[in-house]
Parts: sequence; C-alpha cells; structure tokens
Amino acid sequence: MSEHLLSAQQMAQFVGSGYLKFEDMVPRDLCAACLEEMHHNMGYLAVGTPFESTWPKGTALGDAFRLPQVKGLIHSLVGPDPLYDHHAAHLVKGGVMKGPDMHQDSVIDFRENYFDIQLSLFPADTPDEMGGTFLIPGTQFRNVRTSELTMYQHMRGKIWATCTAGTMYVWNTRVWHGARSNHTDTDRYMYKMRLNPTQPQVGLFDMSDLDNPEVGAALSQNHGWEGNEHRYELMRRVQLWRFVSDQPTYDIGERFLRRREYNPAAA
Amino acid sequence: MADVQDVLVLFQTTPGLDAQVVAWSRYEASKGPGIKDLVEEDEPPYRNAMAAMRDGWQVIQMSEMKHRPPGDAAYEDGPLPYQTVLSRFNPMVNDQETE
Repeated sequence: MSEHLLSAQQMAQFVGSGYLKFEDMVPRDLCAACLEEMHHNMGYLAVGTPFESTWPKGTALGDAFRLPQVKGLIHSLVGPDPLYDHHAAHLVKGGVMKGPDMHQDSVIDFRENYFDIQLSLFPADTPDEMGGTFLIPGTQFRNVRTSELTMYQHMRGKIWATCTAGTMYVWNTRVWHGARSNHTDTDRYMYKMRLNPTQPQVGLFDMSDLDNPEVGAALSQNHGWEGNEHRYELMRRVQLWRFVSDQPTYDIGERFLRRREYNPAAA
Repeated sequence: MADVQDVLVLFQTTPGLDAQVVAWSRYEASKGPGIKDLVEEDEPPYRNAMAAMRDGWQVIQMSEMKHRPPGDAAYEDGPLPYQTVLSRFNPMVNDQETE
C-alpha cells in the first residue's frame, strides 16, 4: 500500500489546486470492460455506507476501484475505510453540444478541515474534441450555489480532461467544474465516484517529503483567476495544509495567517 | 431591422474599469436567445473594461467597493467579487428563435 500513497508534494498540489491527474491508472482491457458495464449503469447504492462492503465485487468497475494504485490514492485523501457517497456514469452522447455548464457539486457545505473526494475515470481515449470534463483549479474554497456559476462562461485557469483511456482524476468535490460539447460521433463517458472520510484526514499520505520546497510552491500556485484574491486563497490552502499535514503552525511566504493569530493583547 | 443589444460581462477581483479580467461572459442576443455550444476562449476579449470601451462598448454597470465585516466573515470566499457590465448594439445575425 505505502508505495501507492501520495507524496507530500502531490498532497500539497491537491490542497492548492483541488485536483490531481493520473494517467494509466486503469489498464486498457479493464477500461473496456468498465465501459461495457457503464452502458448498464444503475442508480445510487446505499449512500453513506462503507465503500468496501457496498461497492460490488466481481465486476470490472468493482475491480477498477480496488486496484492497489487506486486504493493508495483513496487512502491518502480520505483514509483506508471511506464511505460510499454516490457514483454516476456521466454520458455526453456524440454530437451533443453543451452551453455554459459550470457548477459546484458540494453545496451548502461549510465543514472545516474536511473534504470529500471525487474520482473521475475516463474509460476511453478522450481527445479535446470529445469534450472532457473541465475544472477551474483552486476554486474549492469558494462557496456558491450549484449552477449560478453558469454566469461565468469563461474563466482564466480552466483546464479540461484531454486524456487516454485509464486516466483518473481525483478532485475535491467543491472544485468548480462542468461538461463540454462532444464534437465527435462517439459517446463520451466519465465515471465518477464520490467518497467520504471516516476519520480525520490527518497524515494519511506519505509525509516523508514534507520538507520538499515544492510543497510551498504547490500551495502558492496562481491559476490565473485569483488576482487580488490570491492571498486569501493562500490562507485557505495553508489552513487545510496545516490540518492534513499535522503542522498546526505551518505558514508560508508573508505568513498571512500570522496577521490573524499574532496578538499579544489576546495572550 | 433594428440593432439588438449585446451584453458583455467582465469579472474582476478589483472594482475599477482598468482592472484585469479574470472571467467573462457574452450574452449576444444578436446571434440568438441562448448559447448552444460554448466555444473555448483562452483569453478574454479585452484586457479590461476600458479597452472594451475603446471598441464601442458602453458601461451600463460597474462595481461598488464592498464593505467588509469584522471577524472571520471578512475572509468569506464566494463568487468572484466584482464585475463590469457592458452593452453594444449590433445587427441581428439570426432572427430565428433558435438556440
């Protein structure tokens, strides 16, 4: 298991940008079998129950989400025994166009020191013209109400899934995202799985490289949309990094959190 | 046929008309009543509202400064904080009620 845990640098990337991308996460033959099962996708299973006992076994999708590298990823972010929240086979049929679609899934959710993850598996090659899911990295700390975000048609920093079969994205469920037009004649699937932690999300990743200078760089990343808001975003990221890395006094750069915490009169 | 109003919304993180654009939306009624296929745009059409004004767009709304409450609420992160709404009248491209 340990060889599949996220590094501190990767975890900082997740905290700072809200997502990670892994190519070749699921072998192609297993992807093909998963794709076949997606055509017969059933609705939600028992929401809020242990993933291991709830998620079917002996199926391609059952196997895909139990691959060692996937389990390591899950362990790093929400622990070894997460809860199943929901899943869905998101389909954009060939030739289906999408207008403004930006939204946030996780609404009215103000839990501190907490995040759910969403695993997004692309079971087939997904070229640009097929319109893979888009994300706005770094938006996971901004609270909005679902589809009011469609008012933002274009935004600096936008990325989208252009990837080969077997690529998996993992993202904080609060990241702003949406679907894009499928300009091919082939149906496009993205299979998503949402999981909840069952324990504090502290020290669940490989922390042996906590001192890697790339950690600070990953937390500080400017995705292009932050502008004057960057320092406030950085404060949010540092707060979460303190928690997940079990470093309650960690700070970075100008140490903006110190502006809130240093006060001799309050001692 | 009369010209039709198009609206361009520029979203910013500071309120001035010379502020950098970080997000943008087009409501081009001259082309139709909706957006069927959102075509990706890497860069905004103008670097700021003033550049748009120099291209014939009229400002119909600009942002006010926000009052920040004391305490942790001052750190609230929600939608992008500021926007400028611009208007320009353009010839109707398609008078069909299609999206």
